[in-house]
Amino acid sequence: MAVQLHDRTLKALSLILSYPTRELQQAMPEIGGVLASDTRLTAAARRALRPLVEELSGRDIYDLEEQFVLLFDRSRTLSLNLFEHVHGESRDRGGAMVSLVETYREGGFDPVTSELPDHLPVLLEFLSTRPAPAAQDTLSDAAHIFEALNARLVRRESPYAAVFASLLQLAGVKADSDAVAEMLAQPDDDPTDLEALDEVWEDSEVLFGPDPNAGCPQVRDMLSRMDTPITPAPANHAAE
Amino acid sequence: MSHLLDRLNFLQSKDTEQFANGHGQVTRENRDWEDTYRNRWRHDKVVRSTHGVNCTGSCSWKIYVKSGIVTWETQQTDYPRTRADLPNHEPRGCARGASYSWYLYSANRVKNPLVRGRLMKVWRKMRETLDPIAAWAKLQADPILRASYVETRGKGGFVRATWDEATEITAAANAYTAKTYGPDRVFGFSPIPAMSMVSYAAGSRYLSLMGGVCMSFYDWYCDLPPASPQTWGEQTDVPESADWYNSGYLLLWGSNVPQTRTPDAHFYTEARYKGTKSAVICPDYSEAAKFGDVWLNAKQGTDAALAMAFGHVILREFHLDRQTPYFEDYTRKYSDFPMLVKLDEKDGKLVPGRFLRADDLDGKLGEDNNPEWKTVAYDETSQGLVAPNGSVGYRWGEDGEWNLEEKAKAADTRLKMSLVLEEDHDDVVGVDFPYFGGEAYGQFKTDATHPDILTRNIPVKKIQTAEGEIAVATVFDLFCANYGLDRGLGGDWVTSDYANDMPGTPAWAEKITGVPADKIAHVAREFADNAEKTNGKSMIIIGAAMNHWFHMDMNYRGVINMLVMCGCVGQSGGGWAHYVGQEKLRPQTGWQPLAFALDWNRPPRHMNSTSAWYAHTDQWRYETLKADEILSPTAPEGDWDASLIDYNIRAERMGWLPSAPQLKTNPLEVAKAAKEAGKEIPAYVAENLKSGALEMSCEDPDNPANWPRNLFVWRSNLLGSSGKGHEYFLKHLLGTDNGVMGKDLGEEGGQLPKEAKWHKDAPRGKLDLLVTIDFRMSTTCVYSDIVLPTASWYEKDDMNTSDMHPFIHPLQAAVDPAYESKSDWEIFKSIAKKFQEITPGYLDKEVDIVALPILHDTPAEIAQDQVKDWKKGECDLIPGKTAPAFVAVERDYTAIYDRFTALGPLLDKLGNGGKGISWNTQEEIDNLSALNGVQLDGSAAGRPKIVTAIDACEVILMLAPETNGNVAVKAWEALEKATGREHAHLAEGEHGNKIRFRDIAAQPRKIISSPTWSGIESEKVSYNAGYTNVHELIPWRTLTGRQQLYQDHLWMRAFGEGFMSYRPPVDLKTITKDVQDEGDNLVLNFITPHQKWGIHSTYTDNLLMLTLNRGGPVVWISEVDAKSAGIVDNDWIEVYNTNGALTARAVVSQRIKEGTTFMYHAQEKIVNTPGSEKTGNRGGIHNSVTRTVLKPTHMIGGYAQQSYGFNYYGTVGSNRDEFVVVRKMKNVDWLDHEKSWDAPAQEAAE
Repeated sequence: MAVQLHDRTLKALSLILSYPTRELQQAMPEIGGVLASDTRLTAAARRALRPLVEELSGRDIYDLEEQFVLLFDRSRTLSLNLFEHVHGESRDRGGAMVSLVETYREGGFDPVTSELPDHLPVLLEFLSTRPAPAAQDTLSDAAHIFEALNARLVRRESPYAAVFASLLQLAGVKADSDAVAEMLAQPDDDPTDLEALDEVWEDSEVLFGPDPNAGCPQVRDMLSRMDTPITPAPANHAAE
Repeated sequence: MSHLLDRLNFLQSKDTEQFANGHGQVTRENRDWEDTYRNRWRHDKVVRSTHGVNCTGSCSWKIYVKSGIVTWETQQTDYPRTRADLPNHEPRGCARGASYSWYLYSANRVKNPLVRGRLMKVWRKMRETLDPIAAWAKLQADPILRASYVETRGKGGFVRATWDEATEITAAANAYTAKTYGPDRVFGFSPIPAMSMVSYAAGSRYLSLMGGVCMSFYDWYCDLPPASPQTWGEQTDVPESADWYNSGYLLLWGSNVPQTRTPDAHFYTEARYKGTKSAVICPDYSEAAKFGDVWLNAKQGTDAALAMAFGHVILREFHLDRQTPYFEDYTRKYSDFPMLVKLDEKDGKLVPGRFLRADDLDGKLGEDNNPEWKTVAYDETSQGLVAPNGSVGYRWGEDGEWNLEEKAKAADTRLKMSLVLEEDHDDVVGVDFPYFGGEAYGQFKTDATHPDILTRNIPVKKIQTAEGEIAVATVFDLFCANYGLDRGLGGDWVTSDYANDMPGTPAWAEKITGVPADKIAHVAREFADNAEKTNGKSMIIIGAAMNHWFHMDMNYRGVINMLVMCGCVGQSGGGWAHYVGQEKLRPQTGWQPLAFALDWNRPPRHMNSTSAWYAHTDQWRYETLKADEILSPTAPEGDWDASLIDYNIRAERMGWLPSAPQLKTNPLEVAKAAKEAGKEIPAYVAENLKSGALEMSCEDPDNPANWPRNLFVWRSNLLGSSGKGHEYFLKHLLGTDNGVMGKDLGEEGGQLPKEAKWHKDAPRGKLDLLVTIDFRMSTTCVYSDIVLPTASWYEKDDMNTSDMHPFIHPLQAAVDPAYESKSDWEIFKSIAKKFQEITPGYLDKEVDIVALPILHDTPAEIAQDQVKDWKKGECDLIPGKTAPAFVAVERDYTAIYDRFTALGPLLDKLGNGGKGISWNTQEEIDNLSALNGVQLDGSAAGRPKIVTAIDACEVILMLAPETNGNVAVKAWEALEKATGREHAHLAEGEHGNKIRFRDIAAQPRKIISSPTWSGIESEKVSYNAGYTNVHELIPWRTLTGRQQLYQDHLWMRAFGEGFMSYRPPVDLKTITKDVQDEGDNLVLNFITPHQKWGIHSTYTDNLLMLTLNRGGPVVWISEVDAKSAGIVDNDWIEVYNTNGALTARAVVSQRIKEGTTFMYHAQEKIVNTPGSEKTGNRGGIHNSVTRTVLKPTHMIGGYAQQSYGFNYYGTVGSNRDEFVVVRKMKNVDWLDHEKSWDAPAQEAAE
């Protein structure tokens, strides 16, 4: 379906994050061209995208597919479903997805894919049809996710990292460092840092007395976690 | 009086209005902000569904859907009410179920069909020039190409595929395998059909149409208690949980009700409020322990000793010193106590032999029909021997006397239970009983020394038989002696003093179990006392824990004996409550035609999984247990010196157990050869087996001609959960990296099997193709070649039933399957379609030969009253009698899809039925034609449609007596013919009651009473097993027709299990000098109970559930043991033996008894599992340190209740006798450093 795209770069990034196909490989020169000429991205960012563009156009399609499945289908911490990082397997996830679908519908589109609405390429495609300020708003809400995925992919020395670095620049904000830190502190995220990993799994020590009314530290920790407001899904803002 | 003056007519005050005496006030400011909250809980629809596979709870749930997305679920509360004075079933559901919607959109979902990249690449290349079957043939013919993907199993490397491609590879592999090796090389494994029965049926229907093998699960999971078929001739039949409430005394034995039966636990607490007393027996301080009035912490694995001591007390106080009238009457009518047993001479001494049969006597007591299958008792009325009604001999070949009326030859009888009185016996003789307690090793050893043979005095009658004069005794007299009870007959090894340390007494049991003798006597007394006062309302809720030991039958029979002695079985509020793994498929007889394609061809190919996996994962090559270690010192003469696999081979050869693959030669080819030779198939196969021209596959499982080639796994996590001997699966069946550390018998220089052919080098990678169908990336998926994404439990239409409650209710597609997934029904339908498309030219209409074992509940079950092996020349090979039957089955490989989607004509011709009765079902077929419509074209034109999953549900509901009153009435009438008694009143008034899918969508429906089950659905009693046996006098489906506490088969006697006794855990010798590292001194017994933080055994990777525990695999150990090995709570520890190694965190707890370690079942290898220092590979699962060990007594067949049935009888995969070394890990390595993209590293911990 041909529609007026406001932002071909976002569309290009949507494509580049989609499952590799031969069709995609053939289109890579054009996609690479779009990305190389977007001056919102720094020269360094554009340079960083080049290896991925080259890899996607030139490498054996099966290798590309295996790599994609391993990275994005199989690794929970690299999931392209944004709400995996926001809500995980919590009850809020369904509701957040509902608002996102409604945002697409308000924007005049019906999702026709088998992917869930929070799949990043779907969102990017939608944003590519939005006026720049609205798109940027939404992107900025997800900045901490981009930052975290970027960090994780850099550690894996994956060229896909560059996509997230670019998205950060397009968002035009600096990610909330607390949020990023929280994401990066997740257990299976930094597998090389074993001590940090151990800490996450450690239960706090139960201490009795001297103050019998002090309460249970586990419960206190749990309550304080529950008190933390739920991070609003990016789509809630996109709808405004 | 009006208030006109007090009321404003034209103005409204701006002050707020108050109500409820000023406690409430009306405000008028803008309240739009509330919409946020309203929208938060807004939904478009609520759909009823449940959680399929594995969770016995079977709770109905409300699924909330908004904009096509599942948002949350809550428990349904609309179960039909129970009667007055019985609590209702609701609320049902637990935290595990409530977290499922969170899991639905998890990153763990399989989103697209996945194929191993290397396989995909080669496949597409082949397909450029070749048709699918030729492509697969070429790929398999090239060892390098085959190895290229086989060896990468479990190491990542998946690419997405289209449904078209994925089903094409699968169908091509199946068709090629059927043509090249035989359809019996295509295996399918799926468990627990009761939960999502249509999803199960989808795969089994496809397999059965093409001749593939459906593999059993209940025995393999070791949840099947063989003691149940042995005693009752029934797989497992139990009270619904509501009946706990009716009990006066609840004994929880190895069952952790609050933790593992959460939605039902309320009946247990409610019963406690009512005043029911409860004793809890388990080695650890479990969640159930705190419910008990008394907690008996018996040492793990010694339950049979405890049961024996309980029995000792009950017999002494309620049967001998005082004869309780109710118990006496009950056991006379409903147990084999009065039956006579021949005493055989062995080395000049007497041992209990076979039941005396009418056939043994001159004149055969006038019984011409099956006299060798009619047991004999002494009748007080006629003062002579009689063959009382109800034994299996009356069941087949005649009508009307297969019942439990106190009659023989139409005359009233009163059977004599004991010959103990002076005037009743001719002599008192010494009879030998085996004693196994002395074999205890390691931590099970006690300081007591008793010989391995105990001779006890028994009162006998001398009678004349065809073989001359022999001595016979009643089961009851032998039974009492076996419990060590002194009856004033003198002699050794009997006592009337509980404090005497003699096998059977409480004092003896105290030494073994650690439970104080006075507590044993106390609980036994209370249990029996309550049963006496309430006519049997004492119940034992038993956990599979007791059934997972190698000698599980001793534990279970010990418990069953108590219940029978006290008349509890068949009484509401009493009986044996085993709720593990079978998950009662209530509309079974409606489901079977659908599931096994009995509407198109019969018989289906069924295989007992334990024997199959034992052979094909080559666990037999590592066998450490020899038959002589478990043989009885009183065993009759025989060729007992053989390996366990040899016993299995004999059992297959004699038609006791099924075989898959069956013959070394492709059965399609054998059929052709028979035709060319102009011979009938059974005769042709028999002749060639005898000559050796045909060989049974079981004799050479490592020969490539005998490998299983394709395996489907659906609704199951075979490799992550139930795969005992996990590392052997990886090594031999899959051919990939594994952690096997032991040597096989060849390398060890051990004794090689006699009958199984030994190859020096064991095969690696027997499977050509492993296809797993799942909604999540399970451990099994990770090892598969093709992974197909299936619909989750809120995305498909299906049905559930359970043994915990009497309702049938649906799973429904609240939303469309996410991503690219499809329901199991649609997946197998599409594979069938592809199969039909690509097969022409390769396979056409073919004749297949199915080797059918001798089946329980068929006239064939009385095939072998003596054990004779045709191969040893002890008898002729007569198919269906001394060997498997060989049945010709016509298959149409060009019409697999047409047949899959239509109800076939065989039901019109042969009718429907189950458990030995059958009825005409034409009326139901006509109704289905009208309801589902008929196929208009294709080779099944004119037949009722089964296109959608709902069509399939309607087939089940229409054909089953439990959901169609009309059928129920027919079924009871069919049974009336056999018993000669009136039963139809049980379904009276139900003629017009027909439950449809839309009915259960509206509300769970209670099923209708049917003869398929031994309980009834009524307004007066809760469902309880054995009810119709006791109240309708329908015999148990055993040799004696009674609850059979003595097992007289030759192999039962040889292995010392004629009577129940205590048998200590067996020594599996898995901690060898080679494997045990210097300084690793902590050796513990390895127990694997069910947990609280996983969806039963299905998965344990739900983040929220994990967060409630330690977030990854854990192993529990006691404080004392932990201290000895320098382990503190939360340390990473490693657990190993020769079978493999696993890594986990330690939970150090007072809960655990010293000497044991608990690892909850089915914790995933894909979650937070670091590498093992021992194997260098990622730490394994709980089954990494286990291996299956077979027991010959479970192979018995052709012998009434001890005849094969799918998931009914057969070898079971026990795993609790295993010991492990536990040590603290020095380095925790996550193995997360990828080598490069070309060699993807272990993906497991992602």
